[in-house]
Amino acid sequence: MPRDSLAQETRLFRFIENETGAATVSNAGMTALPGGAVLRHFLLAFELTGGRFPGPQRWVLRTDGITKLGIGLPRAREFALQRLLFRAGLKVAEPLFMCCDESNFGAPFFLMRFLPGEADGATLVARGPNEPLAASLGQELAKLHALDLARALHFLPAPPADAAAARIAELEQHLAADSDPHPVAAWALHWLKRNKPAPLRPVLAHGDFRTGNYLVEDGALSGVLDWDFAGWSDPYEDIAWFCAKSWRFGAIAREAGGIAPREAFYRGYADVAGMRIDPARVHYWEVMAALRWLIIALKQRDRNLKQGERSLDLALTGRRPAECELEILLLTAGAF
Amino acid sequence: MRDLPRGDELVVLARELSGAAALVERCRAIAAREQCFGEAGFAPARAALRARYGEHEDRALLARLSAEIGRGAFDAAGEARDWALRVLLAITRQKLRESNPEFLAANGLDEGIHS
Repeated sequence: MPRDSLAQETRLFRFIENETGAATVSNAGMTALPGGAVLRHFLLAFELTGGRFPGPQRWVLRTDGITKLGIGLPRAREFALQRLLFRAGLKVAEPLFMCCDESNFGAPFFLMRFLPGEADGATLVARGPNEPLAASLGQELAKLHALDLARALHFLPAPPADAAAARIAELEQHLAADSDPHPVAAWALHWLKRNKPAPLRPVLAHGDFRTGNYLVEDGALSGVLDWDFAGWSDPYEDIAWFCAKSWRFGAIAREAGGIAPREAFYRGYADVAGMRIDPARVHYWEVMAALRWLIIALKQRDRNLKQGERSLDLALTGRRPAECELEILLLTAGAF
Repeated sequence: MRDLPRGDELVVLARELSGAAALVERCRAIAAREQCFGEAGFAPARAALRARYGEHEDRALLARLSAEIGRGAFDAAGEARDWALRVLLAITRQKLRESNPEFLAANGLDEGIHS
């Protein structure tokens, strides 16, 4: 192992020793975890003697990427949010410690308990349809949207009066900052402005609720991951994002995240939320989802092209906006 | 008209990074399809845009189209709207023929293009 990495690992386990009050840390190992296009994750396995967490431990370290996407919550806010969600009984990994001192790991990070399960979207979709899983994801999402945490979440940007208008303004700003013209994105923006529905009361939304961002153990939901895009929004933004074609991993006919028909997911959501899902509103937010993913793909591309992060995955993401463009045209061509 | 990075740039990056085999193969396939189509694949859309906006480079043509869309020039049903949709779809399909023909096929737009 390179000396820098070794020193980093030593500093990290010393941090854990200090925070937990353990007398010793032994059998310590750190492994980079796959996945996570924006942030980096490491599995930490070790044993503590004494202190608050005696015995063998498996924790996950979550930290910034080498380059930044420029959107999403900073780690300390994500940690605070995840702690509130864990205490509220949602299926999230228990967050344990936040470290803002960059001298420990080169960037802020937080530690959370390891949750078992598979998260890889392509692997989960390849396992075939799973309607109970889709229903439980709908239920979990409805529980999130029902939380009344406005006072505790003072560190998030204030809820927008009109979530669609706020998202349109944000996406328009990102698009204007790109050096190339994108006529299909312009088409989508114009369609979204002209077809904007009346606003609903904003809810706490995950912001990236999709296959690939949850864990499945023995066919059942074991945890929801990646809360860095969370914020106040229209509840339909999460519902539509989950159903967006981009997140079906090739199983296009299984419209709920590539794992089930929409009805299973909708039923789970409606059971908890006590409301009927409005297909027209989902349709609107799916156009928004296609445009939003298009813009995120451009920003991911820029991490390779402009920020110098040498990654095939990021570079290839630069070729994905056309998938979103086709989806935008298919969704809007009949009703401009 | 194409999204970036270009196919040849992807191949260079794949050589430098020697990443996962599937990603490397994807880079090679995109570059091969781009070479195969050359500029001919975008020629009909380019010709349609030049007929409306004059002899300009692609970037200027796409910027003019974007501006017209934003101004609502294609809101009403009719010839102009049909024209805009045809051009947008032609550009998008050509980009996907090169970067992801499987996605076209999955959307029922299979054109028999293979890696």
